[in-house]
Amino acid sequence: MNSPVTDFDFDRCLKACAQGDRRALQALYDHEGARLLGVARRIARDDATAEDIVHDAFIRIWTRAASFDPARGSARGWIYSITRHLALNTIRDTRREAVLDDAHLDISTALHGELDDIDLWSGSAKIYRCLEQLQPAPQRCILHAYVDGCSHAEIAGLLGAPLGTVKAWIKRSLKALRECLE
Amino acid sequence: MNPDTAEALDTLAGEFVLGVLSPEQHAAVTERLGTDPYLRAAVDAWEARLLELTALAAARPPSARLWGRIQRSLSELATPSVKWWQRLGLWQALSTAGLAASVLLTFMLLTTPPPTTQFVVVLVAPSSQAPGWVVQTSDSRMIELIPLGKDAVPEGMALQFWTKGEQWRAPVSLGLVKPGEPYRVPLQSLPPLEANQLFELTLEKSGGSPTGLPTGPVKFIGRAVKVI
Repeated sequence: MNSPVTDFDFDRCLKACAQGDRRALQALYDHEGARLLGVARRIARDDATAEDIVHDAFIRIWTRAASFDPARGSARGWIYSITRHLALNTIRDTRREAVLDDAHLDISTALHGELDDIDLWSGSAKIYRCLEQLQPAPQRCILHAYVDGCSHAEIAGLLGAPLGTVKAWIKRSLKALRECLE
Repeated sequence: MNPDTAEALDTLAGEFVLGVLSPEQHAAVTERLGTDPYLRAAVDAWEARLLELTALAAARPPSARLWGRIQRSLSELATPSVKWWQRLGLWQALSTAGLAASVLLTFMLLTTPPPTTQFVVVLVAPSSQAPGWVVQTSDSRMIELIPLGKDAVPEGMALQFWTKGEQWRAPVSLGLVKPGEPYRVPLQSLPPLEANQLFELTLEKSGGSPTGLPTGPVKFIGRAVKVI
């Protein structure tokens, strides 16, 4: 379990990157690289692909640092969003060609054992308390989607629930989470 | 905005951030983000709400090679280059390519008339004009890239396949291609093929272009020709 990090100045780091300071990017890599790789690895389910994603993420952070707008969110959030969406795009491209049954098989194998992590959280962020208020199945939908990068169909396969039910659970959970976090 | 619409928009934004939208919906939301400030604000809010869940993924120490790779890519980026579709020489080469295309097209039509083919593209090397690959559509959902020879690709590099319609702002990657091997691409995620649509293969690092846009030299290029 990783605890949220507070002792690194992400804003200052992005400003320095925007000015072409490579040491700032290296400092970010040294500080956050392993956590970003962990996020990418969970979604990509493959070490080499995860490293490719983190490589692309750091290039993107470097080339787009000047476009980061603090009014839209935190610098740390921006860095994680870039990495997560690159990872999601990668698996979206790969899965398009995968046969559905194979995908189910792969994901069941890949996720076996990692699911237990979900019970172990000690996160202090409010989102965890809001998640605890959801029913177990909708809660797992949100976590499989966000943390494991699962599609609706994959979650349906994992939970043994109809696709339409999974879609509805996710919509309702989003609404409940939004209300809880407001 | 009325409450129903606001809620539907917020749910869409949440699904986008979770990553559960279909490729088509995802592409549509990505495009809307550039022009819809409400949707953008909703997406930003979901990114912030869910951010702490990233802590559920256990950290993994990167391999010793990764930072070196990133540094090399940064050094390559530092070299200023003109984007390929802005180079005059290429457009001049394309007119010759058009001629080559019509010659080869005639040949193909006379030898193997494929009744369902709608578009054909001949990709030629910009320097020699030598045809290297042919693109054809066997139906509206799939395009096929067929090699006419086997190209030597340096170690650690790959050929990346791109296309750009006349009205598109930037090229779109269609994936990495193995030299000498046919390659099929489903077209569901792209607008329908159009006449004059540009196709090309660039030499990129083995994982593909790090920027999502072509960065390496153009090895083969050509435009779609409609088959009647």
